[in-house]
Amino acid sequence: MNTMEERLWSYIDGTCDENERKAIDTLIATDKTYSAKFEELLNFDQQLSKMEAEEPSMGFTYKVMEGVRAEHARQPLKAAINKNIIKGISGFFIVTISLMLILMLSTLHITPVSFSVHLPETLKIPDLKNYVNGKVLNYFFFFDAVLALVLVDAYLRRRKGKQAFKP
Amino acid sequence: MQSKLSDIELIQQTLSGNQAAYADLVKRHQRFVFTLAMRFCKGREDAEEVAQDCFIKAYRSLSSFQGQSKFSTWLYSIVYTTAMTFLRKKRVDTDSIDDENTYIQLENQSSGLDNNIAEKRSRSYYLNEAIGRLLPDDAAIITLFYMGEQSLEEIGQTLGIDPNTAKVKLFRARQRLKEKLEKSLKEEVKELI
Repeated sequence: MNTMEERLWSYIDGTCDENERKAIDTLIATDKTYSAKFEELLNFDQQLSKMEAEEPSMGFTYKVMEGVRAEHARQPLKAAINKNIIKGISGFFIVTISLMLILMLSTLHITPVSFSVHLPETLKIPDLKNYVNGKVLNYFFFFDAVLALVLVDAYLRRRKGKQAFKP
Repeated sequence: MQSKLSDIELIQQTLSGNQAAYADLVKRHQRFVFTLAMRFCKGREDAEEVAQDCFIKAYRSLSSFQGQSKFSTWLYSIVYTTAMTFLRKKRVDTDSIDDENTYIQLENQSSGLDNNIAEKRSRSYYLNEAIGRLLPDDAAIITLFYMGEQSLEEIGQTLGIDPNTAKVKLFRARQRLKEKLEKSLKEEVKELI
């Protein structure tokens, strides 16, 4: 059984059903205790409704927007780059590699005794030994190190993002 | 001057890259978000930090806002989660209603009232003060119901509880607030409530 106060709060909040509302209406009209309590709670309710919200500092919006801008700046490269560009680059490489494979396969002459590849006269394959030297290897390892750092950074950001609030 | 566009329209503009629209959204909700944060943090600086953090988190997750509930309800759930995390981190000692220290505070306040300070301060001030001394959950539920104009269903969504539980919690929170006011303001409370 609900207490008088509980019933009156439900009545004031408008959360009770129609029958209960009518019963409380009658009680307020006939019972002085109910009537006095109702007045008290109603007054309290009105005071609570009149409460004013606190005002944050003047620069609040500015600080939030600064945070938002910083959020953009911190955005990982993966999210900042248009995905269509990535798709375009991937497409270019796929088409190029496919064409090269087709070209190579079309020039293959396979016989039971010998195996030889006849490349067109005009196609000159560069001598890799001229390019792969100490300096190139250094650049290659440096690039790998930077790439590894970027990937680790992206991984850590993703992990942090997962830990953060997800509404 | 604040925008007359609806929250949803401002969200759509923000998602299309208009940051000014988000600034309008912040201006529209900042007072209540800050007040709600104050219920948990008890200090203006901490509350501002939490409120700012909430708006940045909301911006980050704005694309995941489905629009199934009001933006304010969604935003307040972020405030609640962020504030709870903040409390856990800071291990803020929240004052219990029966706490000895609280009672001393109340005693001091009532002696101040003897000098008719009550007349100088608004009723809203005393209510806010008393709410500030409630447990964070009680303070939040009263603030959401009266200031945030949230229904019991929406409060349930924000706090992650059943609407009926929200109703019971609201009833108890109001009772505790009334007791607190009665203790601290004694005679003056009759005028106040």
